[in-house]
Amino acid sequence: MSFFAVFFEESKLLFRDIAIVLTIFGGVLLYSFLYPQPYVNESVSELPITVVDNDHSAKSRDIIFKLDATPQVDVIRHDMSYKDALDALCANKVKAVMVIPHNLQRDLALGKAPTIALGVDNSYFLIYGGVLEGALKTVMTEAASIKVANLLKGGTPLVGAKTAFSSYALHEMPLFNPYNAYTQYVIPAVFILILQQTMLIGMGILGGGINERIRKKEDGYYCHSSVWKMVLSRYILFGVIFFTHMLYYFGFSFEFFGVSHLADIGELLAFGILFLMASLSLGLFLGTIFTSRELATPAILFSSLPLVFSVGFVWPIEAIPVFVQQLSMLFPSTPAMEGFLKLNQMGADFSMLEKNSVILLLQTVIYTFLGYYIMKKRQKDCYGKV
Amino acid sequence: MFQAFSDAFYKELQEISNSYYKVFLLTLFPLICFGLVVAIFYKGVAHDMPVVYVDNDKSDISRRLLFHLNASPTIALKNEFASPKEASSSLSSSKAYAIVVIPEHFKRDILLKKQPKVTVMLNTQYILVGKIIKAALLETVGTSSAQIDFVQSLAQTPSTQEAMERLTPIQLYNVAFFNTYKNYFYFLVTALLPSIWQIFIVIATIVSFGSLFKEKREREFFHGRFIEMQILGKMFPYTLAYMAWGIAYMYFIYATLGWSFHGSWSVMFFGMFVCVIAYQAMALFFFATGFDYARSLSLGAVYTAPAFAFLGVTFPIYNMNTFALFWRDLLPVADLMELQISQANYGADVMLEIDKISSMGLFWLMFIPVFIRFRQRLHV
Repeated sequence: MSFFAVFFEESKLLFRDIAIVLTIFGGVLLYSFLYPQPYVNESVSELPITVVDNDHSAKSRDIIFKLDATPQVDVIRHDMSYKDALDALCANKVKAVMVIPHNLQRDLALGKAPTIALGVDNSYFLIYGGVLEGALKTVMTEAASIKVANLLKGGTPLVGAKTAFSSYALHEMPLFNPYNAYTQYVIPAVFILILQQTMLIGMGILGGGINERIRKKEDGYYCHSSVWKMVLSRYILFGVIFFTHMLYYFGFSFEFFGVSHLADIGELLAFGILFLMASLSLGLFLGTIFTSRELATPAILFSSLPLVFSVGFVWPIEAIPVFVQQLSMLFPSTPAMEGFLKLNQMGADFSMLEKNSVILLLQTVIYTFLGYYIMKKRQKDCYGKV
Repeated sequence: MFQAFSDAFYKELQEISNSYYKVFLLTLFPLICFGLVVAIFYKGVAHDMPVVYVDNDKSDISRRLLFHLNASPTIALKNEFASPKEASSSLSSSKAYAIVVIPEHFKRDILLKKQPKVTVMLNTQYILVGKIIKAALLETVGTSSAQIDFVQSLAQTPSTQEAMERLTPIQLYNVAFFNTYKNYFYFLVTALLPSIWQIFIVIATIVSFGSLFKEKREREFFHGRFIEMQILGKMFPYTLAYMAWGIAYMYFIYATLGWSFHGSWSVMFFGMFVCVIAYQAMALFFFATGFDYARSLSLGAVYTAPAFAFLGVTFPIYNMNTFALFWRDLLPVADLMELQISQANYGADVMLEIDKISSMGLFWLMFIPVFIRFRQRLHV
């Protein structure tokens, strides 16, 4: 069979298979909108909290007003007792309780350092930090203004008083994702995994389907073509489709969701091609070992969550057990996610991606070899009968 | 009627025992996936995150600050660099998460009360790691600075008490309810296990029905009266198996690891049971759209894979947009997660849980189109 005939047969197999089309076109498109949805508002704000004001003074009302004015917190209730406030918390109406003590204003005037209490529901991930940030900001500002006032009373000039309330300060310069935007954090990493997983499922269904037909002794082009022609046409077919998907993700989707891209376009594409090659090879290999069409989807799906979390963008790589890290290196997504994040989000240049590129190349060579070898073996099965 | 149910139930047990794949779907595969996720987060607390530094002052005070930083359990000071520019490549290459820069004349400026600033360049691309390190830095720098303030304040006032009060004229005492150790294992694993669990329920249910139809044995399996009961009987072994997995992971989290559970176990497990069947109804619905095995698996994958992001555990629901909240409503596991948190943490009253359980129960209505489609397909 000529190469073009084989290529034609493979594309027919792909485009006539609704399950493949649904995954590699429908899935890729749907996920590009669906996955970022929870995060499009980007940062945590206006968390509902309740206040128990035991002082009822001008000062306490002032503090509550300032707390409410922080972007992180929204004071939606005032409770008369701590118990009422706690009930509201346990009914999931508020996420935190702030208690202002009796005699706050008096103690402040006497220089007796009153304590405001804050209890935050720590069942959810970002809520504790969000509420605490708002409350700390309010209380610290209050504390600083009192200190400055005290210093002024003591005779320190205003210029000195403004800086003398703390001997040195921390000046924080957040890099790469300065506003802690969740989209910047999740999208660049998860999109790589989506590309890989949908490609693996597509190639797995295709390969599994062929294996199934060989087992049933059905004759077809896969019994007559030389293996390299099938490998090459599958690589070209899925490669072109997913190269387009990649451009769509890195171009349109990143732009749409406002994800920054620091990488040089040439470097990004070069690394992208390395990633696609490794994924194509793994897809080919998995396609040869799945014995039916239906095995690919579950197998790839089950691997998704463990794969995302073994990369180290959510949970630091230093804290992940080594055997999980090594296991995850069998998949292109691990070196690729790390590499893309460095390149596109953190402004690294290509020379820093040497290790990631070498792993991807190794995967390409090994999986292509394995895939080719097993396909050859499977083809012998159909020659036996035909 | 019950006969039809139990016949199908036993027939399905037979089918499972004849297929390694189905046995693994019920045993080995969930075990591996749960095990991996647990292993990843097992440490729960991040220690010794690499941080590099530039010390332009090299005085006793700057060295003491660095010593304090290194003593923090979260931070491990690595290399020293001569300038921030040289240090910056260790951020881009993820060799370090932050650069601490101590300015020139740091000590002199402190003594002159000019309030010098220690600059921290923090990699906030990894939000969680960034937050953990930022908190550790704020705490250490705050303490270290306060020690100097205290000595200076003591020089001006007669008593230590008064010196302290001058330093902090008003204090914030904060406590974290429910996850007091601020352990990330608790945050993430309690949500990840149900997210993986629902994938298995949907996939295994589709596999059970899909393989039967693919092998064209559906008429052999379903015959006689009460087709509906036969369908329920066929899916019930999976209900029981995943119920067992649900109980197992809850037992692991709350009994083995010793996290406290304040609510009622029977309410929790009842909710879980409603949830398993809700997902099975959805799985059968996907399958009944075309009775195509591979296609329904694709639909099941699209439906279950992104669930984790919509639970509201990693990112609060208060900041989700309408569409995200809508999609979240389509996922029974979101209600289950709420139930789990309110039972385990708040120990909420049963009456408060009725709406969560009944909104999972609404998914049972999907059996109506499923039964109709199956009847059409089997020409009953």
